[in-house]
Amino acid sequence: MNSLIRLELVRALRNRKFLFFSVIYPSVLFLLIAGSADDTTKVDGTGLTLPTYMMVSMASFGALTAVLMGNSERIAKERENGWVRQLRLTTLPGRGYVLAKTAGAAVVSLPSIVVVFAVAATVKNVRLDAWQWLALTGAIWVGSLVFAALGVALGYLASGDAVRPITMIVYFGLSILGGLWMPTTTFPQWLQDMAKWVPTHAYAALGQSIEQSQAPHARDIVVLAVFFALFTGGAAWLYRKDTLKA
Amino acid sequence: MTKTTGAPARQEVAVAFDRVSKTYGNVHAVDRLSLTLHPGETVALLGPNGAGKSTTLDLLLGLRQPDSGTVQVFGTGPREAIVAGRVGAMLQSGGLMDEVTVAELVTLACALHPRPHPVSDVLARAGVTPIADRKVNKLSGGQEQRVRFALATAGDSDLIVLDEPTTGMDVTARQAFWATMRDQADQGRTVLFATHYLEEADAIADRVLVLHRGRLLADGTAAEIKAKAGARRVSFDLEGAIDEPALRALPFLTALTVSGQTVRMQSTDADATVHALYGLGLYPRNLEVAGLGLEQAFVALTAAEEAKQS
Repeated sequence: MNSLIRLELVRALRNRKFLFFSVIYPSVLFLLIAGSADDTTKVDGTGLTLPTYMMVSMASFGALTAVLMGNSERIAKERENGWVRQLRLTTLPGRGYVLAKTAGAAVVSLPSIVVVFAVAATVKNVRLDAWQWLALTGAIWVGSLVFAALGVALGYLASGDAVRPITMIVYFGLSILGGLWMPTTTFPQWLQDMAKWVPTHAYAALGQSIEQSQAPHARDIVVLAVFFALFTGGAAWLYRKDTLKA
Repeated sequence: MTKTTGAPARQEVAVAFDRVSKTYGNVHAVDRLSLTLHPGETVALLGPNGAGKSTTLDLLLGLRQPDSGTVQVFGTGPREAIVAGRVGAMLQSGGLMDEVTVAELVTLACALHPRPHPVSDVLARAGVTPIADRKVNKLSGGQEQRVRFALATAGDSDLIVLDEPTTGMDVTARQAFWATMRDQADQGRTVLFATHYLEEADAIADRVLVLHRGRLLADGTAAEIKAKAGARRVSFDLEGAIDEPALRALPFLTALTVSGQTVRMQSTDADATVHALYGLGLYPRNLEVAGLGLEQAFVALTAAEEAKQS
């Protein structure tokens, strides 16, 4: 299985277009949104400056891009062209393929997180304690597994031409509703109430509580855990269904 | 085709289908199929489109589960046999991972096999050494088939299953590929290949299975299959106007075509047909009487079966 993971990593790092899209793009978006903001404007109700707040949002967004966009489309394609079938004629255990895909995505999501942090720290003077930087990196990286599972599920759910639009809708829906592009505090109240239950909102809130040096909200942890269970369960179910269909 | 049970290690059966059925909707893709393959055999699986070849291979490889009956590979289930590294297979529907090189992909296949061959040997034997550094998605159809073959032969498997292995190859490439296949058989492996090139079955198989509507229509050597079809081919030239109705009335005739001065016919008793031909007072020139090729035998067999069923 390690050999497949290694090859998936090599391939992920070789795909320059995708690397650029998921590693550089979140930082560019960060500069567009937070670039003109001064260091003192606070985002309502958080006590964080806009750059500090948006740094976590964009790091989360970058990780989301890396784990969701790449895998769903590739899995759908490889199911269709028969590579998944060919792998079933090897000793590779069934879960090996999905694990390798997830590992490949994780390798791309880590630099996308770190690059946003580096840009925020150098260009917008975001200052945090060392433990906060480390905790942020860890939380956002590990948290992205929730969406990696979603990417796998989508790859097994949709096929062919359908997979890209479906992934796009899910991706933009999660980004906007979760407040990754603008703080949810700018939303009307009814939308804010809804956004609380969106996994990407809980995901970014996890990072923001680290920035505030607070313990994470229990609700955010629960939301993420429930969605993780939902997405992995869904992916496993769809995978099994696909296997029976051959 | 039952073998006496001796010492199990030596008399091992490579593949055993026991009354296997698989239905899609109301189509019987495979219908109570029983067959046994023995170690060392080179077996061609023939059949028209929709005969159930692909489903049979899928069942053999554990990609599909039979509705009833049992499939055993070296005495275990197909998946167990694959995990034990006893089966190498290339599927027509088997895609390749793209954006990696041929060498990288073959290295992966070797790493996944419990008894791998050295990567360089696998590349050389499949004839893909010159394209080892090329990206998989930049290959021609024939090159892709060779890469698939490399994946199927990455390790020391006892059974090699090849689904339409020479599709997309030109004649020269195909003949070179047969040598590669024969090489596998010469090493004592059981080789099972599905094909619609009958020439291919004639050239390398020592046993031919003809599948029709999910059932085994014929099982024997290529020569036996040809004999079973029974017909011979008669061709000759005639001078002057050709009296087609008179020719058509010849005994034992099963087919007749006239093109220009050349007459081609098929007969179940060529001796009697030719005798009657002279009886008509005709003087055929360039007379040839030949057995049917496997191709015509195959057409004759399946057509006869179709006629029987309708």
